[in-house]
Amino acid sequence: MMNPVIEVISVGVGLSIQDHGRPGWMRFGVPIGGAMDGHALRVANRLLGNPDGAPALEIVLAGAKLKVLEDTWLAVAGADLGCGLLPWRATRVKAGTVLGFSGGPAGIFSYVAVAGGVLSEQWFGSASADGRNGLGMSLKPGSVVGSVSKSANFSTEGVAGRIALPADRRVYASQVFLDVWRGPQFNLFSAQAQEALVDAAWSVSARSDRTGFRLEGPVLDVPISIPSEPVLPGSFQIPGNGQPIATMVDGPTVGGYAKIAVLPDGERARLAQCAPGTQLSFKWIN
Amino acid sequence: MNLDLQFYGERAVLIQGVNEKLQYQLICQLQVSAPKGFIEYVVGYSNMLFVFERRKDGAQLSKWLVDLPAIDEGQSRQSRLTEVPVCYDGEDLGVVAELSQLSKEEVVSIHCAAEYRVRMMGFSPGFPYLDGLDPCLHLDRRASPRDYIAPGAVAIGGAHAGIYSVASPGGWHLLGRTELPLFQPQLAKGQDLDQASAFTLAPGDRVKFVAISE
Repeated sequence: MMNPVIEVISVGVGLSIQDHGRPGWMRFGVPIGGAMDGHALRVANRLLGNPDGAPALEIVLAGAKLKVLEDTWLAVAGADLGCGLLPWRATRVKAGTVLGFSGGPAGIFSYVAVAGGVLSEQWFGSASADGRNGLGMSLKPGSVVGSVSKSANFSTEGVAGRIALPADRRVYASQVFLDVWRGPQFNLFSAQAQEALVDAAWSVSARSDRTGFRLEGPVLDVPISIPSEPVLPGSFQIPGNGQPIATMVDGPTVGGYAKIAVLPDGERARLAQCAPGTQLSFKWIN
Repeated sequence: MNLDLQFYGERAVLIQGVNEKLQYQLICQLQVSAPKGFIEYVVGYSNMLFVFERRKDGAQLSKWLVDLPAIDEGQSRQSRLTEVPVCYDGEDLGVVAELSQLSKEEVVSIHCAAEYRVRMMGFSPGFPYLDGLDPCLHLDRRASPRDYIAPGAVAIGGAHAGIYSVASPGGWHLLGRTELPLFQPQLAKGQDLDQASAFTLAPGDRVKFVAISE
């Protein structure tokens, strides 16, 4: 039974249901999808006792407005987009409260978890919205978001001060350092490209979305294209213009651009929160 | 079997040098018994990716490969044949004819004559990379890709034929269109359905194009 919790007043730049994604279907071309910042999703869910990958609301930048329909617990994690609830904690919210996401100083994605998790039908075992591929339900003004059950596995005892551990909280900066592994075609790249990736300062392009983040910096030597092969989220593909595209969770599952590097999953979640203009530096790890 | 293995990202391993026969062998063996912690595989043109739950599971892959049973050469592969009806009115039919020094009618009859095999799928759900395109139709992709290609567009690019399965950008040459849906997301809904039925084709399938007038 659905328990109505939130009504959508406006979706703003972006509002969707996202969860752990849909692994298992890449060989048919279905992206893993799911939350862009898997870390923040996990923290928001844990604050309410939900499974780590339970569906929650993913809000992009600004403009979304949500009305709370009943007295309930909500948890917010990720970017502080000025909705009136502090991120990285669970908060008791009264029916009738309106959460207006006015935007914040840093970060892109904010996650709002509801006690029990957001109820949604599943496509390939996931509620995550992937509009490009017709997967997931789209939220519009008037849509009602429900929880799976009325706080079935959630006890409010001792929760009033429930705040994420300091190590789990993230601060989003204008300068970010990320670790990268060597990618499958690292050896195809010239020394110029291999060195420039870690020596140069990179900047996140405004032409970035859930499929990929484009990076701007020195032009890397481009090796010959390769036969099409699997592409994982976090991979730095180098197309003809020599500017890396960091593949994100809704990105293509195969491709023919050489991949110089790949981000660990946790680092990819941090990149997801880097707004356009953020300065990036990379370091090779083994 | 001695194969070139390479970690890719946190918990996936690329097996390099996988030809079509070895690919078939690996997929057959996965159905019999998958390696520990195995989640899924992805087929590339000359390699295969195995994704695991944990990095240490991936490190054990070579052990599983040692015991890979050989495939009986005489055993013929069972694979479905799907006929794809195509209305050959694509925007690039004229350009393709010109570039390959053929008439439009010859391009259509050559494209219809071959029997294709689904070599791999991606970049978007249900998009088949088809082997078997006649070499006289092997053309470089368009210099500037289109921002929007409608689902059902029947296209060629490089050594492959393909069919756009969802609306997407793309750089292949458009020969025509088919009404046959390649990806039906509504069939991926729910818990108990056979979600693979959302895809009309699967790797290994045979495909033939049949020209229709409308």
